[in-house]
Amino acid sequence: MPLNNTNIVSAAQTKFGALEGVSLREMFAEAVDKATVDAGIPKKDIQAAFIGTFIPEMLVHQGHTAPLLLDFAGLKGIPATRHEDACASGATALRAAVMAIESGMYDTVLVAGAEKMTSVSTNKATEALAAAADDQFESSIGLTFPGVFGIAAVAHMQKYGTTEEDMALVAVKAHKNASTNPLAQFQKEITLEKAMTPRYIAWPLKLFDCSPISDGAAALVLTSTEKAKQYTDLPVKITGTGQASASMNLCDRADLTSFHASVDASRQAYKMAGLEAKDMDFAVVHDCFTIAEIIASEDIGFFKPGEGAKAVREGTTSRDGDKPINPMGGLKAVGHPVGATGVKQAVVVYRELIGDAGPNQVSNHDTAIMHNFGGTGASCVVNILRRADA
Amino acid sequence: MSEKPTVEEYLQNIQNGQFKAYKCVECGMVIAPPSGSCYGCGSSKMEWTNVSGKGTLVSFTVIHVAPDEFAEEAPYYIAIVELEEGTRVSARLLGFDPLKPEEVPLGSVVILDYEINKTGKKYLAFKPA
Ligand SMILES: [Zn+2]
Repeated sequence: MPLNNTNIVSAAQTKFGALEGVSLREMFAEAVDKATVDAGIPKKDIQAAFIGTFIPEMLVHQGHTAPLLLDFAGLKGIPATRHEDACASGATALRAAVMAIESGMYDTVLVAGAEKMTSVSTNKATEALAAAADDQFESSIGLTFPGVFGIAAVAHMQKYGTTEEDMALVAVKAHKNASTNPLAQFQKEITLEKAMTPRYIAWPLKLFDCSPISDGAAALVLTSTEKAKQYTDLPVKITGTGQASASMNLCDRADLTSFHASVDASRQAYKMAGLEAKDMDFAVVHDCFTIAEIIASEDIGFFKPGEGAKAVREGTTSRDGDKPINPMGGLKAVGHPVGATGVKQAVVVYRELIGDAGPNQVSNHDTAIMHNFGGTGASCVVNILRRADA
Repeated sequence: MSEKPTVEEYLQNIQNGQFKAYKCVECGMVIAPPSGSCYGCGSSKMEWTNVSGKGTLVSFTVIHVAPDEFAEEAPYYIAIVELEEGTRVSARLLGFDPLKPEEVPLGSVVILDYEINKTGKKYLAFKPA
């Protein structure tokens, strides 16, 4: 049975990028204000909060972030819980909120995510990110996150003939889409030649195959169908949700060209929504690296295994293609403040579905899928969203 | 070697240049790196086993930008190797030029080795057979 009681009635994000002089709590409060009072939703209506942050302990020396952030944002007192599943923290928080509303326990809740990553050195941020991989068995021999996706890329290239240029085209598309998104970290188009600059991070992945280190926050207000109309005429329903886990270690996976948690979570979500990949107008997927978008497009069933690169080459996943992917620029060009990312993805889907994406608007926008995965792909949350009047 | 194997010993065995895998007491599945329960039958009864050291190169990358701890060693290879016994491990790959990754033959046979860094720490590694 499709879910029928969870409605997104408001969604907002801060600008992503190196937000100098803005602390974690300040960017969090900005996103919360935009999603609540600025959208005509009084903070007193919020009954509980589900917060995604990844590793503020290492990045800003702060744990126990949920009550701290809520207090600063004027929401002290309500239940506040932090959700951590590496890069999937945001969507994990969102999924918990969906369950809370569907259970009938709450009518109106806040989902928010934030990460402040640029106040430490790049090396320190890299070290913090590496904590999302298996420290004893993989990180300890010098495997990095770009390395994890480099290994996946080599396997995909070997099995399906995917090329470095195919991956570069994902970056070109991301930057093109982000060029008209004022909230993006990079608002500049890049040429294929530039994307192919041989500055290797983890061969075959180059600088332009990697998402950046970013600061930023995003927030959503979710409410029951009964209450939704008092906030907006055009709610967006979450009709299906799925979540799965997989081994942390790449070496424990039989297939390196697909992420099983993504396949499992998306199948669960489609089944719950009673829909299939062909019913989706567009997708927002976790493109932490260009190869990750190609693989995700196959894992969520948009294309057959091995045909994701062809879809990029032929423009199928461009904003004006048949199956647009990451129409506002993805993690790659908009930025990847880890705890905020999954929430931001829902913000993008919401804006596209209600027709509020400006120059980034896709033409068909009734139903979409969002895919947020964590770390080495060991966690994945997938949601199906549909405009209530669709 | 009848006592329950531990992760600490697994890592120490590598430091001693004596790599050993876990083996499920119930079904015989060979497992490395360690797991608390068997991927084949779910049993948590494990013992140590020696492996032949022969494997197949499944995939790899070359790390150019490394965390501080490994920065001086970059660029270096990290590979996924499937051991003859069926389990897969992540390891350093030796014997190839890190600036010529296109010459590395996927699917080729590699054998167990170790790489020792400046501080004397050993990494599990493989080299061409
Ligand atoms: Zn067994």
